Amino acid sequence: MVRRELVVPNDTQYLATVREEVTRVVEQSAFGLRERKLLILAVDEAVTNIMEHAYDNDLEGELDVELILEADATRFEVIIRDSGKEFDPSTVEIPDIATHVGKGQKHGLGIFLIRQIMDEINYSYVHGEKNQLQMIKYVDRTQRKDPAAAAGRKE
Amino acid sequence: MSEFKISRENANGIALLRVEGFLDAHTFEQLEETIRGIFESGCFKLVVDLGGVDYISSAGAGVLIGARSESQENGGDIVLLNPTEGVREVFDLLGLTQIFKIVNDRSAALAAF
Repeated sequence: MVRRELVVPNDTQYLATVREEVTRVVEQSAFGLRERKLLILAVDEAVTNIMEHAYDNDLEGELDVELILEADATRFEVIIRDSGKEFDPSTVEIPDIATHVGKGQKHGLGIFLIRQIMDEINYSYVHGEKNQLQMIKYVDRTQRKDPAAAAGRKE
Repeated sequence: MSEFKISRENANGIALLRVEGFLDAHTFEQLEETIRGIFESGCFKLVVDLGGVDYISSAGAGVLIGARSESQENGGDIVLLNPTEGVREVFDLLGLTQIFKIVNDRSAALAAF
């Protein structure tokens, strides 16, 4: 098993650092190249969401986003913690893409992408402390607990 | 990591942008500002060459969605040229492949308007 921990400031210039670290972990996983790239994207989207929305603008670069990355022969898992505003991604409605694009809406697709990629998304919030987002993808998707509910999909 | 770059040329009233590097939540504003400048100049026909884009996240896709909407509202359009496999994968996941005009060579892009 490979495990790495990373702390970055809440500034999007550190997204490249996050992607590099995820790359190092998924390279030692059992996932193929296509899925590795998607896992990198899912973590990027989750961290971007925190950096862009969890903190007030004047706090850019002042607070930390913590990541714990793990992979073994069966799965990839990431835990992301931040001390920003409470935000449960499972409450975000799945957009109708045609309508979304038709209206020229630029934002709101990151969570949609994460749900497309990951098998489980678990959110918790310790009041007054931290958001914690756990995301898991299994090499064998039949290992998912409850595929629809676990991924936060409203199916 | 390759440096993020945007270069521009014009052909027959169409603006051609070539984007290179990683198009993410850190770099998307550069593309957004470039496109805004093109629209402010009165040009709403836009080709975006994505052949040099190593990586795109939803922030980058969002710029293209916004540009498509604004160009069409003003009688123009946006055509995506030669997206890399990685860009196509993200577009497929988002359901954008069937919505955007996507072509693989420059002459087809210029003829798409």
